[in-house]
Amino acid sequence: MNDKDNEDWILSFYRFSEITGALFFGRLARVLPPSEIQRDMTKHFADESMHAWYWTRALDELGKKPVHIGDAYQDQYLESVGIPTNIMEILAITNVFECRVIAQYAMHNRVPDLNPVITSTFDTIMTDEKWHIQWIGDALKTLEPKFGKEHIDATLDRYRKADKEIYGKIIVEHEERIEHILDVKKKNSSGETSD
Amino acid sequence: MISEDEIKQIMTVYLKVSQENLTNEMVLTDLVAESFVLIEMLMSLQDELGIIINQEDIQHVSTVGDLVNVFLEKGSTQ
Repeated sequence: MNDKDNEDWILSFYRFSEITGALFFGRLARVLPPSEIQRDMTKHFADESMHAWYWTRALDELGKKPVHIGDAYQDQYLESVGIPTNIMEILAITNVFECRVIAQYAMHNRVPDLNPVITSTFDTIMTDEKWHIQWIGDALKTLEPKFGKEHIDATLDRYRKADKEIYGKIIVEHEERIEHILDVKKKNSSGETSD
Repeated sequence: MISEDEIKQIMTVYLKVSQENLTNEMVLTDLVAESFVLIEMLMSLQDELGIIINQEDIQHVSTVGDLVNVFLEKGSTQ
């Protein structure tokens, strides 16, 4: 598999993941009762839709077409941790997932000589992603009286452990495709700069 | 005090079967096209019955009867 195929795949993976997120949050926004959580979930859903569009547009500007992706990252979450049963669990799993997305996008954005189309897409999306973490954190705080802070923290810990496992599996499965991104992490942790 | 019928009435909004044909032995995943419907159903049950459940509560749930029992048990303690 060459570098061009790898890039096609990873950008398509991001696109597919954003579409999956948009569909999930859109359906949630539809069933949640009126509240601040419903309001912010609706904005979150709209953001994810736009992110899917940004990746689609980036692929188009790069002269690429989205490739078929079988499972989104989120599908593996549900397989691994089971379906969330209440709004607190949904927000907790989303919080962990959004942190993973930010880390992945930030790492990819540090790959040397990245096409400006890709870097500007990351920069645009990252602003929204930071807000996602913020509103979900705030919403989880408002749920503390109902679910208990300890229970929320324990739920977050459980999902973080699952996330580590899922991400580890994805790295093993797609190592060849994302090797150039993982190199950035290796260099950073060994003290080298990626420039 | 909530009843089995009350729980099943809410469930049938989301499942591909009418309340009269819904039996306790039916497997939940056979009655939905995708897992998100189960999430919607669980949220609706909690909302309408005023009961909170979590993932641990449904860890061993596979049938309609299993889920009804979770809500009946939770309903008697909350």
